[in-house]
Amino acid sequence: MKLTTNEATLLSAVTTPNSDAARISRGLDMFVVAILFFAIIAAFHIHIMLTVGDWDFWVDWKDRMYWVTATPMLLIFIPAALSYPFMMKFGLPIAGTLCALCLVIGEWISRIVGFHLWTYFPYSMIWPAIVLPGLMLMDLVLLLSRNLFITSIFGGSAVAFAFAPANWPILAPYHEPVVHMGQLVNVADMIGYSFTRTATPEYLRFIERGTLRTFGGESTLISTGFSGFVCMILFFVWWKIGEWLTNLGTIPNVVKKHVGLGDDDDEK
Amino acid sequence: MAVTHEEVRQAKAIAPFKFNLKPMIMGLIVLIMIFGGARWYQQWAAWDYGLDATDPMFDKYWMRVFWGEIIVEVTLFFSFVGYLWMTRDKHLNNLKPREELRRLMLWVSMLVVYAFAFYFAGSFYAEQDATWHQTVVRDTSFTPSHIFLFYMSMPVFIILGFSLFFYAITRLPFFARKISIALVLVVCGPFMLLPTVGYNEWGHAFWLMEEYFTVPLHWGFVFFGWTIIALSGVLIQVMKYMVELLPKVINEKGELTS
Repeated sequence: MKLTTNEATLLSAVTTPNSDAARISRGLDMFVVAILFFAIIAAFHIHIMLTVGDWDFWVDWKDRMYWVTATPMLLIFIPAALSYPFMMKFGLPIAGTLCALCLVIGEWISRIVGFHLWTYFPYSMIWPAIVLPGLMLMDLVLLLSRNLFITSIFGGSAVAFAFAPANWPILAPYHEPVVHMGQLVNVADMIGYSFTRTATPEYLRFIERGTLRTFGGESTLISTGFSGFVCMILFFVWWKIGEWLTNLGTIPNVVKKHVGLGDDDDEK
Repeated sequence: MAVTHEEVRQAKAIAPFKFNLKPMIMGLIVLIMIFGGARWYQQWAAWDYGLDATDPMFDKYWMRVFWGEIIVEVTLFFSFVGYLWMTRDKHLNNLKPREELRRLMLWVSMLVVYAFAFYFAGSFYAEQDATWHQTVVRDTSFTPSHIFLFYMSMPVFIILGFSLFFYAITRLPFFARKISIALVLVVCGPFMLLPTVGYNEWGHAFWLMEEYFTVPLHWGFVFFGWTIIALSGVLIQVMKYMVELLPKVINEKGELTS
């Protein structure tokens, strides 16, 4: 690839140790890192809380049906969209890992300061799902393949396939059976009964349908398989959305004459 | 050494480039004070005076805060945007690259403050809203949670976003020559979260929507939240422009030339 004169000058300048150019370049980098950190927490967290939301908030909502099915599908939107600029503009296959870390930071601050300190729910009830392994695998596939289609198929599905196993060690104790007032429930249900959410009726927590239960112990696997299939498609779609949002152009500025610019300044 | 006296004199005349971090640091401190203070107030007044909207104490401790916020925010919005427009640079065509670089770095540093404000609206106060409304029965649109989420956090980042937009089109030739669509999305997309509150409150007024926080009624916030992804487009535009701008003020050795 041939560099332009400007690019060659800049490359030489910023690679000179301790030069003004290197300092300015590093300064810009630091601003960009801080901007991305806060913006990704906000964008990814508002997306997750309003789409996965309840399944992620409460331990008694973490089931084998919607939680396992919907969470990976919705997890992949923002990381896939950001994979485009990170990978194609900077050569960094880190969007998934970065998004997962930002989400976990945002969620834990909220769970501690909001859910625990303000409305007094115990941490055992409000821990957020573990999402890092799947999104790291997605990055790994992108790193190794550097190919959109391969990453969509193997990286996208990895987000779904890693989700239930990653969460199972922490969730398993809450699925121990308990008999409560003659009804068979689990530990997570008991915690839910004990810490009442006035506006959320209890019947909503029994969200597994009968037909799913006829599959015996395969419910999680079936949900994961479906989720993985959708994740493959969603990675591709959101990569394209990320590409579109990253490469947006410009529109004419009709008020530029008020700042001393004329039509002949467009090409400067 | 083949360095003449004149060259040494010229080299001394070029002031070193300094990042002006003061506005960014001040902005971050002010935001921490505002949002931290609001959170402290919630802890103090929400359970005692914020459960019943018909209680006179609710009026005293919550509605006064609400009206105070609205007055201050509208005033600040027009003050900031008006100031930036009225004091605009009317000769951007003659702007020296060194000054343009200084302004661009200042603007990027203030994007950090914008992103920080967006964090409080999109993450901190937004999810906190879920726990409050799923715990406490809502009887008004102006709850202790909403008063700081919809009517403080969102206006704060909207004020910052529009101020940054007006700074860009009045002081930075790169953004003034043509309007960046990515920048418009980054400012106007999150702005649309506030009008979406109208739809949100309409739904909450007629149905009990607390059963799920993930109800479709809330997806307007999700859609407009996505627009912040265009920030990657803005940052890439800035970086591409830096490839043009920096060589105008530095030489191959990385030293400043103007």
